[in-house]
Amino acid sequence: MALAVEVSNLVKRFGDFTAVDGISFSVSKGEVFGFLGPNGAGKSTTIRMLCGLLLPTSGEARIAEHDIYRETELIRRSIGYMPQFFSLYPDLTVRENIEFYAGMYEVPRARARERVEELSGRLGLEGLLDRMTRTLSTGWRQRAALATALVHQPPLAFLDEPTSGVDPVTRRQFWEFIDDLAREGTTVFVTTHVMDEAEHCTRLVIMHDGAIIAEGTPEEMRTRYVQNMVEVQAAPLWEALEALQASPLVREAALFGDALHVQLREEVVDPAEAVRQALGEAGVAVEAAECIPPTMEDVFVALARGGEEAVREASP
Amino acid sequence: MNRRRMMAVARAEWIHIRRDPRSLVVILILPVFMLLLYGYGINYDLDRIPFAVWNLDGTQVSRDLIDEFRQNRYFDLRESVLEQRRIEELLDERKVVFVLVVPPDLGGTVGAGRPAEVQFVLDGSDTTRASVALGYIEGVLNDFSGQLQAQWANRQGTQVAAPFTVYPTILYNPDLRSRPFIVPGLIAVLLTLLAGLLTSTCIVREREWGSFETLIASPAAAGEIVLGKLIPYIVIAFANVVLSIVVGWVVFGVVPLGSMALLLTASMVYMAASLGIGLFFSAVSRSQQMAILFAVLLTFLPTILLSGFVFPLRSMPTIIAAIAQIIPATHFLVIIRSLYLKGAGLEILWPQLLVLAGFAVVIVVVAAGRFRKRL
Ligand SMILES: Nc1ncnc2c1ncn2[C@@H]1O[C@H](COP(=O)(O)OP(=O)(O)OP(=O)(O)O)[C@@H](O)[C@H]1O
Ligand SMILES: [Mg+2]
Repeated sequence: MALAVEVSNLVKRFGDFTAVDGISFSVSKGEVFGFLGPNGAGKSTTIRMLCGLLLPTSGEARIAEHDIYRETELIRRSIGYMPQFFSLYPDLTVRENIEFYAGMYEVPRARARERVEELSGRLGLEGLLDRMTRTLSTGWRQRAALATALVHQPPLAFLDEPTSGVDPVTRRQFWEFIDDLAREGTTVFVTTHVMDEAEHCTRLVIMHDGAIIAEGTPEEMRTRYVQNMVEVQAAPLWEALEALQASPLVREAALFGDALHVQLREEVVDPAEAVRQALGEAGVAVEAAECIPPTMEDVFVALARGGEEAVREASP
Repeated sequence: MNRRRMMAVARAEWIHIRRDPRSLVVILILPVFMLLLYGYGINYDLDRIPFAVWNLDGTQVSRDLIDEFRQNRYFDLRESVLEQRRIEELLDERKVVFVLVVPPDLGGTVGAGRPAEVQFVLDGSDTTRASVALGYIEGVLNDFSGQLQAQWANRQGTQVAAPFTVYPTILYNPDLRSRPFIVPGLIAVLLTLLAGLLTSTCIVREREWGSFETLIASPAAAGEIVLGKLIPYIVIAFANVVLSIVVGWVVFGVVPLGSMALLLTASMVYMAASLGIGLFFSAVSRSQQMAILFAVLLTFLPTILLSGFVFPLRSMPTIIAAIAQIIPATHFLVIIRSLYLKGAGLEILWPQLLVLAGFAVVIVVVAAGRFRKRL
């Protein structure tokens, strides 16, 4: 399958500081490609380089088969870009903003009006088309920004944290919308902090300190990087956490809602039983301990805490 | 150059201007207000210049000379001084602009047909006032010595002996009224200020808003963005030019003698250049404050100080006068003053017009070139 994005050894330095440190990956057409990582990992910097907004320090990249150094203008025609931070015109209405970008991408006027109706319908913006974007709350601003980024139906969309500051219900709608886009043939390149959202991606990479520390499908991520997960309910929870973190059999233990998620070392054969035992010895009452499939959150915690070291150890 | 994109930029900018009450004030009220304020405030006309006389002579000739000044509507005799000390007092206290000192035996000297001298002690602290006053004094003296010569020749029974007195004939503004001179200059300065204020923030503002990032991620070329931004301001500038001309006419009674079409054309070319300069600063600045500061320091001040609006170019050191040539206002002032005062036409003003047009084109091209489509 043709590649929508092809990156090799991309580096970006700001002075002495290396924000993106020689990353390589590729995205096939039609994918929903997730770009994950903690704050400061270098996600936005990477996207900006791919959109031609920042000049890389070194490395190569091709977007929609165009070179990012020499064919920036061709790239700009073939992508839609939604920046991480509010970037609409605050004193223009939602409709005016969408129509402005329709103009910038040479969408014929009649078609632009159709797109306004279509996108506002799908994103639930109908009632807000004539509101100044300055007066919108974060969630609605994000929807409006999404609409402007997609008005020209780009084959490739870069969405930088589209769901930041968005409530959980809206967040689900966003992802349904993104799934639809992908089904209609748009390649979506999306960043997020929220690990559960990664489940919507066909493939994802996890960035940390400018480097890619993990790559694969969500399923691969879970099985490869996190095994032997046990969900524990105990009282008092806090003491249980301390006891487990002290146990030599435990790799990671973290609070997860009103339970603990505990990852045991690979050599442990019956993880649930091992947890019961450890807590028994510590004198904490165990209410429940059962093996669970790890969530993306667990993957993220494991990777982010252990950084590259954990990856190297856990990789087969 | 894509028209659709350029017009999309122009339209968004237009909507922004319409919705920003601040810019409406700047556009509609500021020019009229400033024109009224300064049009009334700056007035170099010296009506009834106060003066004093120290007459050491006492002959008929000296009395005739003094009468000549007293009867002139531009002068107002305040005091006859009796001792020298009083002269300084009067000038110090700014009670008079000058003191006429008639030397002893003026009558005798003149009667003998010898050249005579009278002294004028002038307050030079306000150079403009002093030089205007001096101009009027020379006029009166010329008249008077003409009369004397005629009388003397009469008494000798001959025709006028020395008719070579210089009579400066003042063309274009015969009354030496300052308004027809000041109002066009004021219009030029005002339009400059306005242009700077209008466009100096219009690109950098987007950086502050964050809309810059999506704007430059779009396929729009720098030239399309810069020209698109310029279009609405050109329209506004036209309204302002017309408004200024109308205020100059209705309030100050100053009407251009030359072609109105040429005045409008030249003003618009000048506005394009000035708006372009604002855009340039907007493209290179990182914050709105910085852009406004640039616009004021690097366009407005030079326009006031160097263009010939306040200080005549002729009286500037050569280097400064050369620098003045790179300020568009210098050329525009020549055009607008010539149009108002002399009624000059295109056959005379084309070099200045050409220079202004060149400025406009170059600055827009440079602004577009400085507009980087990178963060
Ligand atoms: N223009 C810049 N100059 C200097 N440093 C920069 C610049 N832009 C980004 N950085 C630094 O590069 C690093 C990566 O930033 P980036 O915005 O790419 O992170 P991110 O992964 O998008 O983070 P977040 O999740 O918080 O958005 C950060 O440490 C940031 O401070
Ligand atoms: Mg970011």
